[in-house]
Amino acid sequence: MLSIENVTKRYEGHTAVDDLSLMIEPGVIYGLLGPNGAGKTTTIRMTMGIIQPDEGKIEILGEPFSESLKEKIGYLPEERGLYRKMKVLEHLVFLAEIKGLSAKTAVERASHWLERVDLAGWEDKPVEALSKGMQQKIQFISTIIHEPQMVILDEPFTGLDPINTQLLKDVIVEMKDAGRTVILSTHLMDQVEKLCEKICLINRGRKVLEGGLAEIKMRFSKNVVSMRFTGDARELEKHPDVEKISEFGQGLSVTLSEGADPVVMLRHALDCGRVDRFEIGEMSLHDIFIAQVRAEGGDLDEEDAAGSQA
Amino acid sequence: MKKMLLVVRREYLDRVKKKSFLIGTILGPVLMGLLIFAPALIFKLSPDTQTTVTVIDMTGEIYGQMEASLADTLDDGTLKFSLREYPAEETGLEETRRILNIEVEEDAIDGYLVIPADIIGAGKAAFYGKRVGDIKSLEQIESALSNVVIGLRLSARGLDYGEVRGLVKGVDMETMQVTEKGAEKRGGFDFIFMSSFLFIMMLYMTILMWGVAVQRSIIEEKNNRVIEVLLSSLRPEDLLFGKIFGVGAVGLTQYAIWGVFGTIMTAYGLTMGGPVAELAGNLSFATLGFFILYYVLGFLFYATMFAGIGSVCNTDQEAQQMQTPVVLCLVFTILLPMMVIQRPDSTFATVISLIPVFTPIVMFMRINVLMPPVWQIVLSIVMMILAIRFSGKLAARIFRTGILMYGKKPDAREILKWLRRS
Repeated sequence: MLSIENVTKRYEGHTAVDDLSLMIEPGVIYGLLGPNGAGKTTTIRMTMGIIQPDEGKIEILGEPFSESLKEKIGYLPEERGLYRKMKVLEHLVFLAEIKGLSAKTAVERASHWLERVDLAGWEDKPVEALSKGMQQKIQFISTIIHEPQMVILDEPFTGLDPINTQLLKDVIVEMKDAGRTVILSTHLMDQVEKLCEKICLINRGRKVLEGGLAEIKMRFSKNVVSMRFTGDARELEKHPDVEKISEFGQGLSVTLSEGADPVVMLRHALDCGRVDRFEIGEMSLHDIFIAQVRAEGGDLDEEDAAGSQA
Repeated sequence: MKKMLLVVRREYLDRVKKKSFLIGTILGPVLMGLLIFAPALIFKLSPDTQTTVTVIDMTGEIYGQMEASLADTLDDGTLKFSLREYPAEETGLEETRRILNIEVEEDAIDGYLVIPADIIGAGKAAFYGKRVGDIKSLEQIESALSNVVIGLRLSARGLDYGEVRGLVKGVDMETMQVTEKGAEKRGGFDFIFMSSFLFIMMLYMTILMWGVAVQRSIIEEKNNRVIEVLLSSLRPEDLLFGKIFGVGAVGLTQYAIWGVFGTIMTAYGLTMGGPVAELAGNLSFATLGFFILYYVLGFLFYATMFAGIGSVCNTDQEAQQMQTPVVLCLVFTILLPMMVIQRPDSTFATVISLIPVFTPIVMFMRINVLMPPVWQIVLSIVMMILAIRFSGKLAARIFRTGILMYGKKPDAREILKWLRRS
């Protein structure tokens, strides 16, 4: 569906995307993750042909980028807006027509979608009369109205309330079920965890991690246990299998060295104090994300670090 | 191409449907019409009332003749001037004037005329009144008085006034312009200048107004962040030229509306006679054709420049600084016709009319004043088209890169780099 091969994009003074390669299979929901400034938007803009890569090759649906491909792709940019004075239906029809739909089909589909997202009756209102969340729904409709084979959504959830977030997720899953490819670029990890089958984590323009979500979580989770422990945590740390202990309000998260048996750890913990809860835990994608970005020496801003709590 | 037309349509409808377009389009000709017709209208509308004048005739022989020559009547049949002779002795003049001043003050009379005894020799009289702005009436009184005095002077030497007047009658020289095919038409510096200047001002104003509209439209596009959504559907060139053509079409629509308006006005003007009819009578379809042609060429050329400026700016304020050189070019261009009009076929006029920056206005001026050779017109059009293609290409390059730059305004060095790339 989308193949990005050894793509590099340099700007004055820095490299936004550095020798990046990605393969995205058709019919998946693919998460493109990374902290702000990691190069996600630049990668997407190159995919959309809005900017050209300095090096490397991008192919969509097996062919190099061309203007006619734009009609097969839907793109919801992070920097998005609408003509404020235009009427809602008129606006949707315009955006659908430049995607190659006939005026008639455009009107039909636009009306159908307005109904679906609960905006029926707003057709003749100017866009500026809509709330921000409503405008975002309009933008989302315009991204998928031409029934593209591949949809790229750049931070689609920002500014949406839980109900609309759910609505958006439903539509995304529907598209996947219909065999379309959805690329989700975001730093909201819990959304990714719920939706994506495959992810790619990029930082500083480079790929840090790629693969199936389940497989990645397996890889990172087997040596972490979380427990509610009363006693001296420093005693716990003395055990040779313990790599790191993080204390939370409700308990501890213990990272074990590779190959260590969690049961040995449980015994040791019982020797050191009282254990009310013991769980061979999964590491959340959020933790994996932070751990990987930190290991790469990346800078995380507040927003990224707080990502999964949002 | 199809996508560009969609952009043209959107841009066009968006503007034409705006109230400001309607107001601007209607207000423009209304203001212009007022400017042309106001003096006549005001004159017509000003109420015709009788002017009451008291005459103090110290000579005793002038009043009678004056009264006879000021016998105009108003529309309702009453006399325009109601004259009254006030007998005055030399010694009592001060006293008489005091009384008449009070009458003027109380609006009993509009004014009074003092004809001194030595008027035949000295040629001086005085009018006293409250409303001395009614020039038309005052001139009439003055000329009536003059005629009587001249008549008296002539008859004192035994000459007949009517005869002398016939002898000293001057010559009226009419200016006729001989055009291409040996035809003659009424013209003259004032006439050519006025009619050309009207068109040139229109060209200048519309090119500037709609050119800047393109620039603002692009800045707006950057600010409302629609741009990236659009770029995922069409080529930047479709968007840029769609905008330029859309706005240009709005300008043409405005002309069409003005044209209809003008035709109606002219029809009215023709029945009225006067300068408007004369101007309209001299307008040919060729002139109008050239006007539209040079508007289109001039607009496209300047609009691409304004588009380039809009692409690198984030706010109208920023753009205002950058657009100054372009606007100055246009302003300079409307100063040139003053030089061109005197020698429209000089080398200087020929050369500058072929420089694309000046062509739209200067070449149109030349065509209007003295039809230049056909090859020069064709050359000017070819040069314009080449210039538009060149500036269009530059604008497209700047647009493609600049449109996605938010925040920092690029410096000249950076813009040059964009131009060299791609």
